[in-house]
Amino acid sequence: MHLIDTARPPGATAPPGRALPQRAKNPGPWQRIRAARWSYLYLAPLMVLVLTFVVYPIVGSLVYTFYQWNGIGDPSDFVGLANFRQIAHDHIFWNAVAHTFVYAIVVVPVQLVLALVLALVLNNKKLRFSSFYRTLFFLPVVTSPAVVGVVVQLMLSNFGDSLNGWLLDAHIIHAPVDWLGNPHIALGIIILVGIWQTLGYNLVYFLAGLQTIPEEINEAAKIDGAGRVRAFVHITVPMLRSVGVMIVILAFIGSFQIFDLVQVLTDGGPYFGTEVVNTYIYHLAFGGNSAAAVEPNVGLASAASFFYGLMLIVFSVLQVLIFRSIAKRRAAGRA
Amino acid sequence: MALISAPRRGPVRRGAFRRGLRMGPTHLVLLVCGLLWLFPFLWTLGSSLKSPDGFFSQGLDPIPKDVHPGNYAAAWSEASFGRFFLNTVLIAGGTVVVTLAATSMAGYVLARTRFPGRRIAIGLISVTMFLPHGYTIIPIFDIIRRLGLLNSLWSVIIVQSSSGLVFATFLFMGYFSTMDRELEDAARVDGAGFHQTFWRVMLPLSGPMLATVGLFTCISAWNSFFIPLVFTLSRPDLHTLSVGMYSFLGQNSTDWTLLCAGSVITLIPIIVVFLLLQRYFVNGLAGAVKQ
Repeated sequence: MHLIDTARPPGATAPPGRALPQRAKNPGPWQRIRAARWSYLYLAPLMVLVLTFVVYPIVGSLVYTFYQWNGIGDPSDFVGLANFRQIAHDHIFWNAVAHTFVYAIVVVPVQLVLALVLALVLNNKKLRFSSFYRTLFFLPVVTSPAVVGVVVQLMLSNFGDSLNGWLLDAHIIHAPVDWLGNPHIALGIIILVGIWQTLGYNLVYFLAGLQTIPEEINEAAKIDGAGRVRAFVHITVPMLRSVGVMIVILAFIGSFQIFDLVQVLTDGGPYFGTEVVNTYIYHLAFGGNSAAAVEPNVGLASAASFFYGLMLIVFSVLQVLIFRSIAKRRAAGRA
Repeated sequence: MALISAPRRGPVRRGAFRRGLRMGPTHLVLLVCGLLWLFPFLWTLGSSLKSPDGFFSQGLDPIPKDVHPGNYAAAWSEASFGRFFLNTVLIAGGTVVVTLAATSMAGYVLARTRFPGRRIAIGLISVTMFLPHGYTIIPIFDIIRRLGLLNSLWSVIIVQSSSGLVFATFLFMGYFSTMDRELEDAARVDGAGFHQTFWRVMLPLSGPMLATVGLFTCISAWNSFFIPLVFTLSRPDLHTLSVGMYSFLGQNSTDWTLLCAGSVITLIPIIVVFLLLQRYFVNGLAGAVKQ
């Protein structure tokens, strides 16, 4: 209540409400901590939650990786690094890593290009109903992935006037396609749905970035005779760079964490054909329809997730370093 | 009236019309793309009103031939979507309250007060931003089990809250740090203590950020699938809409129209909330990237 005491200490000559009390000038550490007790109290709920459910789990999961443990009772069967060895030799894990990377490497660029084009169109001041269109393309973001999964499954089902019927009639295909039963096609469907669902985020991010570009610069370029393409290459792209780097990193981080869509669309199947790392970990830890793990193995799952976490950290650091070196080279080239 | 006002408005209107005409093709493309974009929504809405026979014969046609609103009643009571709805509301509401309370208070003291350890606290939560999330579900599961909260709505609320805490704290820190310091000084001169300054002055002034974080949290809690799935695995009566849909799909591979009605029940509330608060949400989201 008296964190910052505005009352003047006896004998002080400073005008009221301006100077801090004399004793606050050189307080000892204990006094400073005592004075800030309400700050600590306000910070406490957040810190308790973050330490318990964010920081500790990151450290704590490391312990499980050394045990063979089915998740019931306390882990006791110490196996050393055997879990890591088993993961490193598990081709299903590496396939899951590959699927996750394929997903991210297709989704991120396609989505960013689409989102940027759409943002450029919607950023036009002369376009009416811009916020209506923005809302329209943003709606899938608000939608539950579980609903998306169910709806897409139903839409691709093979009855009535289905997609297969249309494509057969149009002679594009000669036999009905099992959309989610063929691993290659199923991964493609997951990618398409992924692009559809998260495009809205990137659209909004790009719109925000475009709005930071002052109108006058584009006007000046127009007067100087720059066409639309030149203005885009020489003004929009450079000015979008810092926001763009942020968007790329966020998009990659999001894509590498793909779980919901795969789980509800294919459950990682058929025959692990669409298994991504997070569904693989889930199946190891909690069992599942298509998983190799009949018996849940938390130690193995922890090892897999820790391993993948390390890969993600390395990838994130690499990304930052690459962006930084590009920026440096550009700066050097300009100088 | 038309006679008098027409000549005056004429040029303006013609200008607007001509501009509209030039933008015509753009609007056409945007509308067609938008309709395609929304097709899954339209199809679900239409199919939720189809009869089971109609569902099988009509396939991808979004317009039902014979309208069956009874699907909604059946989904609500028979397929227990009503129960899932209640669970989802409780979880989303609880998550919003926990998140807003923890992050607004922390964001305020981190942005506006100085105390030993402040930098350490900021550093600690910053680091967690860059660590990959989602892979720590097993130790979290273990903590919840040890706390005896497994298979309760509390477990979902707490874990769901913790997933968005750091981001929300940064949003609040950013917001509070741009607020005018004179407000606090004025409150203090008027005799407000630490608590009054926060609860009576600063918090009410942070309305837009409360709306942003609240909606952000509400959307992710409402749609969350992984966390409620893991923490209610053995208690079907605690399932949320998302998890309920998923397990319903696994158990009954025939009641497609009920599933569509369930989808609409899941979607409508969150879309309405989003449309009401979208201005704050989109601005908050955009602000987060601009920083």
